[in-house]
Amino acid sequence: MNNSLISIKNLVKYFPIKKGVFRSTVGWIKAVDKISFDIYNGETLGLVGESGCGKSTTALTILRLEEPTSGEIFFQGENISSINKKQMRKYRKDLQIIFQDPYSSLDPRMKIKNIIAEGLAAHNLLDSRTRVQKVGELLERVGIPPDYMDRFPHEFSGGQRQRIGIARALALNPKMIICDEAVSALDVSIRSQIINLFKELQSEFNLTYLFIAHDLSVIKYISDRVAVMYLGKIVEIAPKDIFFKNTLHPYAIALVSAVPVPNPDFKRKRILLPGDVPSPANPPKGCRFHPRCQKVMEICSQVEPELKKLDKDHYVSCHLY
Amino acid sequence: MENKNRDKVLEVKNLKTYFFTEDGIVKAVDGVDFEVYQGETLGLVGESGCGKSVTAFSILKLLDYPGKTVEGQILFKEDDLLKKSEEQMRKIRGKEIAMIFQEPMTSLNPVFTIGFQIAESLKVHYKMSNLEARKKVIELLEKVGIPIPEQRVDEYPHQLSGGMRQRAMIAMALACDPVLLIADEPTTSLDVTIQAQILELMKTLLKQFNSSLIMITHDLGVIAEIADRIAVMYAGKIVEYTDTRSIFFSPLHPYTFGLLTSIPRLDMEMEKLESIPGVVPDPLHFPEGCKFHPRCGFATERCRKEEPSLLEIENGHIVRCWQVDRVREEAKKIAFTRRLAVVE
Amino acid sequence: MNRIIRKLLNNTASLIGLLLLLVFILIAVFAPYLAPPLFPDPYQIPRMSWDVEPQPPGFPMSDDMRFVYESLGKPITRDKAIFGTAQGGYDIFYGLIWGTRTAFRIGIITVTLSMLIGVILGSLSAYFGGWLDELLMRITDIFLSIPFLVAAMVLTTILGRGLDKVMIALVAFGWMGYARVIRGSILSTKEEVYVMAAKALGVKDFRIIAFHLLPNTIFPVLVQASMNIGSMVVTAAALSFLGVGAPLGYADWGQMVSFARNWIIGSPGKAGEYWYAVFFPGIFIVLFVLSWNLVGDTLRDILDPRLRGEL
Ligand SMILES: Nc1ncnc2c1ncn2[C@@H]1O[C@H](COP(=O)(O)OP(=O)(O)OP(=O)(O)O)[C@@H](O)[C@H]1O
Ligand SMILES: Nc1ncnc2c1ncn2[C@@H]1O[C@H](COP(=O)(O)OP(=O)(O)OP(=O)(O)O)[C@@H](O)[C@H]1O
Ligand code: SF4
Ligand code: SF4
Ligand SMILES: [Mg+2]
Ligand SMILES: [Mg+2]
Repeated sequence: MNNSLISIKNLVKYFPIKKGVFRSTVGWIKAVDKISFDIYNGETLGLVGESGCGKSTTALTILRLEEPTSGEIFFQGENISSINKKQMRKYRKDLQIIFQDPYSSLDPRMKIKNIIAEGLAAHNLLDSRTRVQKVGELLERVGIPPDYMDRFPHEFSGGQRQRIGIARALALNPKMIICDEAVSALDVSIRSQIINLFKELQSEFNLTYLFIAHDLSVIKYISDRVAVMYLGKIVEIAPKDIFFKNTLHPYAIALVSAVPVPNPDFKRKRILLPGDVPSPANPPKGCRFHPRCQKVMEICSQVEPELKKLDKDHYVSCHLY
Repeated sequence: MENKNRDKVLEVKNLKTYFFTEDGIVKAVDGVDFEVYQGETLGLVGESGCGKSVTAFSILKLLDYPGKTVEGQILFKEDDLLKKSEEQMRKIRGKEIAMIFQEPMTSLNPVFTIGFQIAESLKVHYKMSNLEARKKVIELLEKVGIPIPEQRVDEYPHQLSGGMRQRAMIAMALACDPVLLIADEPTTSLDVTIQAQILELMKTLLKQFNSSLIMITHDLGVIAEIADRIAVMYAGKIVEYTDTRSIFFSPLHPYTFGLLTSIPRLDMEMEKLESIPGVVPDPLHFPEGCKFHPRCGFATERCRKEEPSLLEIENGHIVRCWQVDRVREEAKKIAFTRRLAVVE
Repeated sequence: MNRIIRKLLNNTASLIGLLLLLVFILIAVFAPYLAPPLFPDPYQIPRMSWDVEPQPPGFPMSDDMRFVYESLGKPITRDKAIFGTAQGGYDIFYGLIWGTRTAFRIGIITVTLSMLIGVILGSLSAYFGGWLDELLMRITDIFLSIPFLVAAMVLTTILGRGLDKVMIALVAFGWMGYARVIRGSILSTKEEVYVMAAKALGVKDFRIIAFHLLPNTIFPVLVQASMNIGSMVVTAAALSFLGVGAPLGYADWGQMVSFARNWIIGSPGKAGEYWYAVFFPGIFIVLFVLSWNLVGDTLRDILDPRLRGEL
């Protein structure tokens, strides 16, 4: 707790399901359901999980781009979960986000110069001349020739656009950047360029990352700790080495075993999960994973397991442990 | 290679498919050669835009204006598909060669039940009655692992999850026991655990049906798992073509080599990811000489001027590069650590 | 950009539209030369005679009229009504030439104002949502449920006769379409990731609307607006035709048509005798509407998403 930059306590985010002419709420999508974790200063926390498990919702709620339904979010010890919009603006400089889709995350009608300087303008930082200079430096740093700053986003490739998105996030000298699938849409050869860029920037600017991805190999390479999400819950969280050596949660084990490995001689026992991920509107009772779990026990369909601390820093939410 | 004794199902020779756009000619596929043998899986890998999908569409002659196959031969059971009429192609598509697309939602028609859509080709190609077709469809759905097929057969695509839809697509492709399946990124839009299910399913079914498969993907992990041989494409051309183990353990083309060292992996510890500098060239302005030279660490003067041709370097290992020997030396070092990782 | 211009010039329809519009602009600009005014208020149409009946093209100014002007000390600049005269001896040609200015004024002012109102209400409604959206959209619905022409007529009757009143009525009942269109596109655009990114940077709401949302949504509205300029002029003409528009003798196309109201059929045995009284004003109105529609189509083509990337 002492060196956590972000600390989340029992965070909940439900989206209403509206139906009918009167748009009355008929149920709730439990996108994020009582999760708690810390992000330490200077680390990279990798967050994995399948589509729809609530990774992006977690990210957006931390940034207060979605309002939390309940729970607390502490940034450097201060509770930012219920402060108003105006007070939140102050923290926006410190908390930045990079999105998955390099095409839709840049306004097509803005020059990249203005895209990158937008945060500076919004917070009235620097005069316009120094702003341009700063934009030039940022572009240079992320590997785009500064004299391209008067161009529009469509003149760049996917990888270059992602670099522009990174420059935009860096402009305000944030303490933390959330990378929401920031490399998922990129081609193999471009992806490693961007991953390496993230790594370099981290040590250079002393950044903390929440790195969201569905690709465990990427998570393994970039993260210090790994958190696995399933249906709105954190099921396992551990330092990377421990996680990959000693994966404990049955879902996490299946997830690791499902990753295709680019090595034809790599033999392992693959655990095939039956069925699909259930809908977050109507999650199974007890352990949310129990209909697909191979180790399911009597208790699993009745009682929801808590996230328990097993070892130093190794947390699992499963009745087996 | 053992393949030499097997039956060739498909042979693509010097295939060139261009798009005649207003901005100029896009040489999407520019002289591609490969063959597919009975019962094997050929992997076609490469980055976005390198021409994988266009190659697949060319084989089935599914291209629309402004795309046109301008040269080459596509020998399917020794008959050139390019010489066939649209009428004859229709008899081949779906029956002899079937295709599975990336996006199962858009390739299934939302207004018909999946049963109806799968039955369609059975009725067309085998003149089955409604009842016979329905029985066969339920059988197929069961084979691809869809639970309660008697009920699912009457459902619409939107009622199925992504994984189920992809299973339905596979059932549809397999309906007429095709000799050759072409799967264009069949698992790309799926979650890893669902992807694993589908890959296992495909492997089992291929064995069962003894069909051949062209597996198109950009995921080297997927290809390592399913392919017997691999063709690596770059900018409309095949740059390396050999069996799967050689591609992964002794790549001879700098591009393949670069790809392999730039992917993070679960099977070994990596200190640093290498990366291929630059970006894939704009298809309207391909560089002269070797198309990879602006990004290639091995490039020499010759590479900038002369385009290398595909040469068989070792037995069955075909590469398009002037500097194979230097690449081989480099690759040996990497391959060594990689084998260690496997042992562990 | 050049390619788009080239494309447009190759397209006959857009070329015709642009040329027609250019002709109308030239007419409006050079009105004092094409039809030199006789009165201090150039919009007052000079009369060529005291006849109630329309007179055919080429009709010369009557002697008693000439006497009136001369005794007033007005130089006679034209002594023939080349398009004929309307009911009451008003010069059709003069009315049409100066009426072009009136048409542009009505069209551009009403469309700009109603677009402004619509865009402001629509974007606030879409961006902030909730009760504000609910409220504004219900108001829009109410305005939409009243038949436009009837509403405009009632309002002009209440406000009194006059072009400005007509324009107020047109604006008051003309903004809803824009509000709807802009609301729809902002609703989808505000879900775009770049809007989320701007919020994450701490950009204020109004800046997001002005710098991100409007630039990405305004173009369909502009297309609609340009097409509406024509129809606004027609509606204004209709109101004039119904007798609630411009004051008597004011250079306005609607007025010219309304002058023809009693003469459309012609006299017994001579059907269509007064064709010119309807034909010339009619053709001006039709061509004006056509030119704006073609220009609107052209704009739409330019903004077609398939051409977007090249802008
Ligand atoms: N604005 C919203 N309104 C209603 N439901 C939402 C909204 N945003 C997300 N959801 C739902 O919440 C759940 C979690 O979504 P979220 O986007 O957080 O998943 P994710 O883990 O990021 O998935 P992906 O890997 O696909 O990005 C999903 O079921 C989604 O449909
Ligand atoms: N209809 C078209 N008009 C013009 N160019 C096209 C068209 N379709 C494809 N191309 C071009 O052909 C090239 C190859 O495209 P193709 O779809 O085969 O790539 P791919 O390897 O399948 O990529 P991905 O991994 O993105 O699916 C690309 O450069 C693309 O721009
Ligand atoms: S709690 Fe039970 S069902 Fe859930 S993961 Fe553990 S063993 Fe499986
Ligand atoms: S031919 Fe030259 S440039 Fe091309 S891949 Fe080989 S070494 Fe690189
Ligand atoms: Mg997400
Ligand atoms: Mg493709």
